[in-house]
Amino acid sequence: MSQQTLITLKDLSVSFDGAPAVKNISLTVRAGQVLALVGESGSGKSVTARSLLGLSGGQVSASELTICGRDALNLNDSAWQKIRGNTISMILQDALMALDPLRAVGREIGDGLKEHSSLSRAQRVQRVHEVLASVNMPDPELRAKQRSTELSGGMRQRALIAQALVGNPQVVIADEATTALDSQLTALVLAQLRALKDQGRGVLMISHDLAQVAHLADEIAVMRHGEIVESGPTAQVLNHPQHEYTRQLLQAVPSGVPRFAPLSITGAPRPSVPERQTPAGPLALSATNLSKSFGKHVAVAQVSFELPQGTTLGLVGESGSGKTTTARMVLGLQKPDSGTVDLLGERFAPLHEPQRSQLRERMGAIYQNPLGSFDPRYSVGQLLTDALSGGKSKRDQSYSQQVDQLLEQVQLSSKLRSRSPRELSGGQRQRLAIARALAPKPSVLVLDEPVSALDVSIQATVLDLLDQIQLETGTSYLFISHDLSVIEHMSDYVAVMHQGKIIEQGTTASIFGSPQEDYTRKLLAAMPRLR
Amino acid sequence: MSRSAKIFSTIVILVWLLMALAPSLLAPGDPLAINPTEAFQKPGLAHFFGTDESGRDIYTRVIHGAGDSLAIGLAATALGMGLAIILGTVAALSPRWLDEVILRVLEALYAIPSLLMALLIIAFTGPGVGPAIVAVGLSTAPGYARLVRSQIRNLKNSEMLEAATVLGRSNWLKVRNHLIPNALKPLMALVTLGIGQAVIWAAALSFLGLGTAPPAPEWGAMLSAGRVYLHLAWWMSLFPGLAIVAVAVSATVIGRALGGKVKSL
Repeated sequence: MSQQTLITLKDLSVSFDGAPAVKNISLTVRAGQVLALVGESGSGKSVTARSLLGLSGGQVSASELTICGRDALNLNDSAWQKIRGNTISMILQDALMALDPLRAVGREIGDGLKEHSSLSRAQRVQRVHEVLASVNMPDPELRAKQRSTELSGGMRQRALIAQALVGNPQVVIADEATTALDSQLTALVLAQLRALKDQGRGVLMISHDLAQVAHLADEIAVMRHGEIVESGPTAQVLNHPQHEYTRQLLQAVPSGVPRFAPLSITGAPRPSVPERQTPAGPLALSATNLSKSFGKHVAVAQVSFELPQGTTLGLVGESGSGKTTTARMVLGLQKPDSGTVDLLGERFAPLHEPQRSQLRERMGAIYQNPLGSFDPRYSVGQLLTDALSGGKSKRDQSYSQQVDQLLEQVQLSSKLRSRSPRELSGGQRQRLAIARALAPKPSVLVLDEPVSALDVSIQATVLDLLDQIQLETGTSYLFISHDLSVIEHMSDYVAVMHQGKIIEQGTTASIFGSPQEDYTRKLLAAMPRLR
Repeated sequence: MSRSAKIFSTIVILVWLLMALAPSLLAPGDPLAINPTEAFQKPGLAHFFGTDESGRDIYTRVIHGAGDSLAIGLAATALGMGLAIILGTVAALSPRWLDEVILRVLEALYAIPSLLMALLIIAFTGPGVGPAIVAVGLSTAPGYARLVRSQIRNLKNSEMLEAATVLGRSNWLKVRNHLIPNALKPLMALVTLGIGQAVIWAAALSFLGLGTAPPAPEWGAMLSAGRVYLHLAWWMSLFPGLAIVAVAVSATVIGRALGGKVKSL
């Protein structure tokens, strides 16, 4: 711990209109080290990070804030502007939102230099190319002239990181910089953060996922309700967690946890692989040679898979690999160019909607963003009544008891019945979506990235719930995710998608234990693991 | 928009409704009663707003005129909106060629100024309250229809509708339960604005002698009657004119406020 101290923060408190968001936090960022601040949404970690840039927007008090030897406790706006960008900077979360779609990325990146340096125009362009090259952007001179919409996802992430680095800051804050990225992009960002650390910069990394930070962080501070509940060297926090909450977060990471073992503390303990009765009969779902093109772009090519009853098939791949198009064809929302879908041994697609109306309620869907799938005018109770009554009524009191049963099944309080889904938390909304999908007692659920928008700890409770429902009802799942650790924990069978094709499929143990394809091996290598 | 403007507008609209629904409560007299000996009386205690050339009480006539303006405003807007919902929904949900046909027709209608179109319709039907309603209703429909169409088209591709498809809802249930109610929600503000507009148009048609015929108490017709005596009896035109302005402005203020609310949701 002899490294130079870059940031010293003591007793930081931030409140918004009298409501405390951060209480008495102290932390130290050292040169050549990564400090990870871990906690769920609302724990105050982003507010803490923003306070280090003078951007918290609330009432701030601290007994000490030193940034690279400068007292930053009582800086005014223009003094903060001088520090931001060239002493301390931040990598933003969403590359599509953070980069102006109408300007060349090189100009976006160069803007920071205009404010902070006396470089000439030519020198600025030179510096932009340098920094793009330093984040391994292919063809930096060409890319600098392109707009963010013309770049691939990986290039956009690189541009975003370059934007934070152009002023050569000594401290870089990464606020959920890997959230919502698929495994390849996550690996890319993590590698860049590691490079920053090796260059001797200080990195403050903010995440809700302990697995993401495990291999990079030198120290971890766990935040909850605005306080740091535990902090220390990474190995100590991961291997000997002292605080109950740290243990919860560790347990919530699905990678390496056996199938059906609970991830959340509220999950009922059960034998690691319970006896499941596999109902005799046809396959729950089978797809044969599904193909779909949009213009010249081949989205899905010759995809076939089988889902036996009562089991889960995990469909994994990066964004753009064709997972969602496959799901939409399976659900009959998109007509395949060729190929068929059979549900419980009967033809489901391609068919005209009226021809499959009998089968419709045998298959349900859960989306990444449940709120978008609810009619905004309906309350929780009305949504479920509508689902139970087949759309005939949203107020029929005779369904009241069934509504309560559904809410109980997904562990939501029946007090929420009159609430609007907008007033629910992310986890509660997903539970409600599950309850609605269960209303017609489906045999198959298609789950498209159902937990990708949730914090790891909330994700754990939703995954436990899905496990429990499968054990109780024998519902089969087609589980789509970019997150390998979730797929590993949830699936009996796994199919790996790449560029519209299923390149490898088999049992979870065989795919994760002995992958045959290079691409699968690459994905697995990029997967953050705790265990 | 200031709070006081909203409160004031709400009061104006409430008074207008009261005037329209129970005119005798505010003005017990007969709006048609002639009293030639009291013609052209200035506003005063006996006649709050004065009297006209036949000695009719302007105050009583303004109050009783609210009924016609409300009826025309509401009925015309309802007619326009009803047509718009049908046309807009059909256009949004039909195959491309039919959508294009409906759109071109709507655009052609949209190109004709609404008041001109109303005049055209009255040229066929002849003047009267009924024709005025039809004329104003028909001429507002194209504008609303285009809005309904774009709302429904956005909603048609929403996850909400996909979820309804997956739950096995028929097309009819999707339209009735989700598409139309959600498309109309943001239009409520426009409807309020539209009522204010319809009141003005109804008054304009009557002013031209194409709506409610004199001596029936109608604000536009009263304005027109007073026009001849403007140098002699300014109050004959002023008070009905104020009534039109107050109602139209208030409906607009409330419509704007509702519009802001819908946007912020």
